[in-house]
Amino acid sequence: MSNHIVENLKKEIENFKAILKIEKVGNVLEVFDGIAKLSGLSDLRSSEMVTFGNGEVGVALNLEEDAVGVIIFGDYSHIKEGDVVKATGRILEVPVSDSIIGRVVNAIGAPIDGKGAIKSDKTYPIEKVAPGVITRQSVSEPVATGIKAIDAIIPIGRGQRELIIGDRQTGKTAIAIDTILNQKGQNMICVYVSTGQKDSKLRKLQARLEEGGAMDYTVIVSAGASESPALSYIAPYTGVSIAEYFMDKGKDVLIIYDDLSKHAVAYREISLLLRRPPGREAYPGDVFYLHSRLLERACRRSAKYGGGSITALPIIETQAGDISAYIPTNVISITDGQIFLETDLFYKGIRPAVNVGSSVSRVGSSAQIKAMKKVAGTLKLDLAQFRELEAFAQFGSDLDDSTKRQIERGKRAVEVLKQPQYSPVKTEHQVTVLYALVKGFMDDVPVERIKEFEQGLIEHSERNAKTFYKEVTESKMWTDKGEEQLKKAIGDFKQSFNK
Amino acid sequence: MAKISPKNIAEAVYGVSQGKSGHDLAFILKRSVVMLQKKRMLGKSKEVLNALQEIFDKKTNTIRIKVTSTKGIGHQEKSKLEHEIKERYKAQNVESEFFEDKELLGGMKIEVGDEVLDTTYINKLRQLENFLIQGK
Repeated sequence: MSNHIVENLKKEIENFKAILKIEKVGNVLEVFDGIAKLSGLSDLRSSEMVTFGNGEVGVALNLEEDAVGVIIFGDYSHIKEGDVVKATGRILEVPVSDSIIGRVVNAIGAPIDGKGAIKSDKTYPIEKVAPGVITRQSVSEPVATGIKAIDAIIPIGRGQRELIIGDRQTGKTAIAIDTILNQKGQNMICVYVSTGQKDSKLRKLQARLEEGGAMDYTVIVSAGASESPALSYIAPYTGVSIAEYFMDKGKDVLIIYDDLSKHAVAYREISLLLRRPPGREAYPGDVFYLHSRLLERACRRSAKYGGGSITALPIIETQAGDISAYIPTNVISITDGQIFLETDLFYKGIRPAVNVGSSVSRVGSSAQIKAMKKVAGTLKLDLAQFRELEAFAQFGSDLDDSTKRQIERGKRAVEVLKQPQYSPVKTEHQVTVLYALVKGFMDDVPVERIKEFEQGLIEHSERNAKTFYKEVTESKMWTDKGEEQLKKAIGDFKQSFNK
Repeated sequence: MAKISPKNIAEAVYGVSQGKSGHDLAFILKRSVVMLQKKRMLGKSKEVLNALQEIFDKKTNTIRIKVTSTKGIGHQEKSKLEHEIKERYKAQNVESEFFEDKELLGGMKIEVGDEVLDTTYINKLRQLENFLIQGK
């Protein structure tokens, strides 16, 4: 055994050839807060990687007349003034491979889950120009989130960018996690980018994904709260580079940026340390470009250019519901819609706390399947009217019959759209329940028994409306025959439910 | 108002000292030091001198090299090295500085501006170490 090791080592040493090349070097002028100013390195390019004497890696961000501003990834406490820094000639890149699936990596693509090295023979640059107009195709296939309120009212399509926005503790991450859990068997690879989050939260999330079997198709990119802002700044770009690797293979990818407000804060910190001029809320002038160039990389590529898509779900945390702050308005304008979560709804027990009135999906409706479109067509309007009437009804007791009916229907709609965490609902089940709701089958069911009715209806219709289920799941069609069968199944179930 | 860099001062000093000698030159240099003191840039005098040196080198097409080896280099080797550098960088003059460092174990390290050609044994051993650890 030991002979074998010695022989192998001998062979390796014999095969080794020292590379003789001219290297570009510079010196550290000053180091502070994860930033280094370097002298020399006159030919350094923007975003080029440099290596410090102790092996730490940095990236050039500021190219000045007689110095270079570099952000350091990792521990900078051992770097001192006068240390030699080498240019690598390479723009910042991350290793990518199929074996990255199921792993937790840091912002530079190195594994941090203790499961050993990730073998990869390819690297992707973290900064890339987004695919051009010619290579793109409009959104036409849905991303099933398994959340009724979203799939019915604010549908998301493959290649879309849908913002999840809300105050702290309103269930933003829960929506993202439920969406990942629901991708099982949907031919989707998920990338979850955690920026500036607590390590305990990430660990819990990873355990939940493992429990749900979602790590079989998920990659987690993490830049924790204890790590340098430089890592938080590049983590979303690393995530999207990994996503692009899979998209280039013709696969559909879902990427979640949790969250971009912390990303913007990390970038603000770096920019201020690099002495870039501050603008509104002390963010640098290019903070819009920071997010627009990231989110533009989400797209659906046409079959001619290899197909594949990247669907992006960025998350933004607002302060006291203020969506008119700088970063929220920027990201709202970049994305193709937003899911707005409200603290009031959350504490009223309406979970997911989606404010249907303020939420919108600009392109998702074209990706909705016909059956869902048919049943959810008027739901948003009904809910909006209900909210208005509900407020109005508080002032007067005498209401006409149609108003009363609308309020009762609205109450049931709200109840139907409530959904506990980690329990995504299949699209065909959603269609069944929503059909029963909009066609008035639930109007005489007491509000407190709606959940019971829903559960029973799903079980009953699955057994008795097989043609309808087959149509919805396989051909995604809506036929009169299927509708008749569904209607009959609901009617039969209702009779047995009322007994 | 734009910030004055050491390079700006060096360019100014070079500009005004052109064609001057004797008393005139001494007066200009004295005034330059006073200006540095007034602009609170005396602390940057090293950078100003370096920048001035760079300007002179550029004008006279001079290249400065630093050679570090384990033991001294012979006269013949020195002139051969200078000749090679002259050829490579198309320079008229070469100003060389030679240093000794036993820790390099062998070979030599040649530094020209921010370019380094490292043929030392210690560097080769470092490369071998990386190769065996990371396979790079």
